Amino acid sequence: MSAEPSCHGPPTSGARPSRRPPRDALGTLTVALAGRPNSGKSSLYNALTGGEAHVGNYPGITVEILEGDVTLPSGSPAVIADLPGFYSVEATVDKSTDEGVARAFLDTFEHSGRPLVVVQVIDPTRLALGLRLAAELLRARLPLIVVLTHKDVLGREGHTVDVAALSAAIGAPVLLVNARDRAAKGAVLAAVDDHAREGSATQGAGHFDAAKVARAVVQDVGNASELRRRRLTERVDAVLLHPLIGPVLFVGIMALLFAAVFLVADPASSLMDKLIGLARAKLAGMFGKNLVTSFVADGILGGAGTVLAFMPQIVILTVALELLEASGYLARGAFLVDRLLRLLGLSGRSFLPLLMGHACAVPAIASTRIVRDPRERLTTILVIPLMTCSARLPTYGLVLATFFGHRSALFRAFIFVGLYFAGILTALVASWTLRRTATKGKALPLVLEIPSYRIPQARVVARKAYLSGRRFLRDVGTIIVAVSAVLWVLLTVPMPGSTAAPGIERSVAATIGRAIEPATRPAGFDWRINVGLIGSFGAREVMVGTMGVIFGVENAADDPAPLTTRLREAKKPDGSRVYSTATGLALLAFFVLACQCMSTVAAIKRETRSWRWPAFVLAYTYALGYVAAVLVYQVSVAFGLR
Amino acid sequence: MTTLSLADALDGRRVRITSVDLDGEAAAWLGAVGLHEGEELVVLRRAALGGPLHVRTGGGGEFAVAREVAQRIAVSVVEVPA
Repeated sequence: MSAEPSCHGPPTSGARPSRRPPRDALGTLTVALAGRPNSGKSSLYNALTGGEAHVGNYPGITVEILEGDVTLPSGSPAVIADLPGFYSVEATVDKSTDEGVARAFLDTFEHSGRPLVVVQVIDPTRLALGLRLAAELLRARLPLIVVLTHKDVLGREGHTVDVAALSAAIGAPVLLVNARDRAAKGAVLAAVDDHAREGSATQGAGHFDAAKVARAVVQDVGNASELRRRRLTERVDAVLLHPLIGPVLFVGIMALLFAAVFLVADPASSLMDKLIGLARAKLAGMFGKNLVTSFVADGILGGAGTVLAFMPQIVILTVALELLEASGYLARGAFLVDRLLRLLGLSGRSFLPLLMGHACAVPAIASTRIVRDPRERLTTILVIPLMTCSARLPTYGLVLATFFGHRSALFRAFIFVGLYFAGILTALVASWTLRRTATKGKALPLVLEIPSYRIPQARVVARKAYLSGRRFLRDVGTIIVAVSAVLWVLLTVPMPGSTAAPGIERSVAATIGRAIEPATRPAGFDWRINVGLIGSFGAREVMVGTMGVIFGVENAADDPAPLTTRLREAKKPDGSRVYSTATGLALLAFFVLACQCMSTVAAIKRETRSWRWPAFVLAYTYALGYVAAVLVYQVSVAFGLR
Repeated sequence: MTTLSLADALDGRRVRITSVDLDGEAAAWLGAVGLHEGEELVVLRRAALGGPLHVRTGGGGEFAVAREVAQRIAVSVVEVPA
């Protein structure tokens, strides 16, 4: 290992050599992209790798670190690893925060001795802040190259940075690039090559005053345009962060986001449905209707259809969130709603995931990654399934039409809105309770950096959307298809020894439905509703269709009118009605609370990396749902609701 | 020199952090983020109903600081020459 000076760097007197061994001995060079959040790391990653990414495998690290392969000018290969944004490696508050992940990542290299170069991305308009982290990385004796991005913004603001002076002051090579420019890639990779080839030492060990250095190397070259830019940001903030107008605009922007999701996702989902329908028909046409085609068509294809129907939502929400995040608005939204959520043990960061839960819990759970505090993030994940997602709406519609069809539309709308609020209220009470029990613990001090407004980069946004879609298909997709296949078997295969009439009544599911009737009778559910609940265990949107199958109504999901009549007129052997309004209300209570969604369970498993929390969510939401259904039924009957 | 908590600092007034009354790790993290002893700040605005403060630091960063955190940051007013 040599301690020769880098060609970019200052003299090495008194310097300790960095820890990097010769690269050929221990494999490919890893280039770790580090930096504070919003420093422009994503843009540089994209510029260096062309958007190519695979998930790296690092022992002990539980979040995904994206990697891309590149070839250095010298011809040797290197891997670019995109670390999450972090502020410090010395002040590690919690292992599962971004700081903890970055620290663990860097430690794996220390222990294995694999070759590493750290490229720290700094936003030069916030140079002093970035240099504090640079000092920490140097003190950790990491081989460091500093890349200042946003060269263009710096120029517009009327500043320039003395790169040579900065390099001399901190004792590490420094580059100033525009990450959106093609030349950036060559310059950065050449610097990495030099650093790796010459085995340069990391000098100075990071003992400099970041603020002083920053003041010394930034020169003003004209203040007029900077002042204009600052004034514009201030003016925009004065409106967007206004105590009254700000929150109103925030709600408006969120409403727009959901409208966009529904407007684009709905036709895309219907198209997907049609394609699956075509595939089913084709299958039946080719091989006739038999057990095998039914399994493939209803079990496998049905499950795949559910997965694909979620895809447009996932991709569009990812794009929308990425736009909000990259433009700098998301941090401002968190600023506005923080106070309200603090009352419940959450913070401004949890707001967006909770709101998104009203469309679909799956992308909402993935979006909790923006929540920095690990306990708060877990709490948010655990209560998101209580938000009224769009998959509950068909069942709500069926129950309202069946039991309240004779009441006014206004009355039905009132119940409808009440169901939404019941979900929100339960989630708030649940998070309040969880923060005092299961997820109890010191909250991290809430300090959010408010980034400058920037125009999001299309290629970065597209890459994120593509990756989220691919990941969803791989992780959640396989589970949904498997569960759908199992449910098909339960609803189709006859119970051995059953004497019931052929068809669904003889199925394993029906037998189970009858067996649990004693437990569900206090809630007013008979075996048929139980079968519906078993069928919708995997996906609650299946409820209406399953009830249709049980009552022998074809296509109940498309036109529930005949089904509502059958449900209303279903009679017991003694002539009394099977289902009363009380049953309907109890069913609604159950649907508000129970997490009847395997996609959600799979998403929780993926984000918490354990089966413990998805099992907990299933247990507590089903327990709440059951208790609420029994209470609602008993109270309704006591009040004479028939 | 009189000190007051950041939560009580007037909007638009320049102040300097004199001490941070948080446990060691949290204070160190806060320092790494950009809120450390000696740093100058201006409170730009505060969110409604006791929400967070929006501050700009001498280092060029802007932050939303929860009120509970601001109450534990002691500051002194920086006299700006007229």
